[in-house]
Amino acid sequence: MATSASSSAQRADALGALLARVSLGDRAAFATLYQQTAAHLLGVILRINTDRGQAEDLLQEIFVKIWGAAGSFDAQRAQPMTWLTSIARHRAIDSLRRRQTEPQWVTARASLDDGEDDDVLDQMPSEAAGPMELLGQAVQARAVGVCMKGLSGEQQQTLALAFYQGLSHSEVADQLRQPLGTVKSWVRRGLLSLRACLERAGAIDAVGV
Amino acid sequence: MDYSRAPLADRLAAEFVLGTLRGPARRRFDNLLPAHPALRAAVARWQDALVPLAASVKPVTPSPRVWKGIEERLFAERRAANETPSAPQRWWQTVLPWRAATGFATAAALALGVALTIPKPAQPPVLVVLAPSDAAASVALQNAKFVASVSADGRGLVLRPVDALAMDPQRALELWAVPGQGAPRSLGLVAADGATKVIRTELLRNTAAFAVSLEPAGGSPTGAPTGPIISVGKLDT
Repeated sequence: MATSASSSAQRADALGALLARVSLGDRAAFATLYQQTAAHLLGVILRINTDRGQAEDLLQEIFVKIWGAAGSFDAQRAQPMTWLTSIARHRAIDSLRRRQTEPQWVTARASLDDGEDDDVLDQMPSEAAGPMELLGQAVQARAVGVCMKGLSGEQQQTLALAFYQGLSHSEVADQLRQPLGTVKSWVRRGLLSLRACLERAGAIDAVGV
Repeated sequence: MDYSRAPLADRLAAEFVLGTLRGPARRRFDNLLPAHPALRAAVARWQDALVPLAASVKPVTPSPRVWKGIEERLFAERRAANETPSAPQRWWQTVLPWRAATGFATAAALALGVALTIPKPAQPPVLVVLAPSDAAASVALQNAKFVASVSADGRGLVLRPVDALAMDPQRALELWAVPGQGAPRSLGLVAADGATKVIRTELLRNTAAFAVSLEPAGGSPTGAPTGPIISVGKLDT
């Protein structure tokens, strides 16, 4: 356990060092960063925007943005993979504006009633190491995976649909055939419980408000 | 701080990161971020909490056209010489405006010449002005300008901030010699409010630029820059 946490931390340091060199205009470091992270980012984008062509265009825009914004990455304040993934998710969600006019995206998925909610829940980080260490996020990913499991089934379901698939409140409500207000409440309470759990675990800093 | 507003801002930040904040509300929130550090901090906390969920997503290898497209947009040779792709390349060129301020450079050289205790070489020192980067403003160091005077034999350097910089006591400034390719070399911590002397053997060899980064107190724990690069100055070739 200690070994994987420290090797994960080393990976995070290495990614941070690459970002620092990218910010100084080092093209070789940028190419290495792409080799190490692009496939993961494309996976994340594709779950939100399922059109392969659009997703790859988004990936390109994201790396152009990373080239320009690498100077603002601060390893003291953030994890490299969190920073990179946030840029990717943000762009992918913004690309969904067009989705509302294309109803075909709605495919049959698990609902709360048919007892197949494990599908979505299985997607969350588990105890297995490997990929999470490669991205330097083993400790954080395990913590959030454990904390998610402490939420109610409905809260897990709604947060997972929103996070992984980029569904809005009303899209989740349609998907689960639940009232909009109910879904909003599951999201809101789920987020608060999740963060309280992470703060207790020391995975994130508690904030005095 | 308005106590009653903080929970609302925090909830918006959470939904912004999660992705449930959409449409005009999302765009408004996004537009507020650059000017509101407290909002950015709330977003950063929620990113730390939620984004590691993505660690379990299976990677999908992009087709080769994606990298080709990136290279073409950023590095294509057929670009006009004065067209700069984006921020990092711009920094190399921020020396140009400073070259015009020769009076400033001379005054700085005189001031530093008095401070230098290493023997004056026959050749004049190499002066490099380090200008604040785009990242500097994001850490409240938008006045991070330095002048470096390097002895022509490359054995000594004096670095002085143009204005004394207000520093968080938990942070430190570290100076780097940046080669054209490869990892920057640390030249150690530098003062935010006075001159720092650096004695080495070959400061100018294989150095394309000097840069200052913001590190934790004590300097980078990894041997590579870990914090934002706040100031860069290119050596004239």
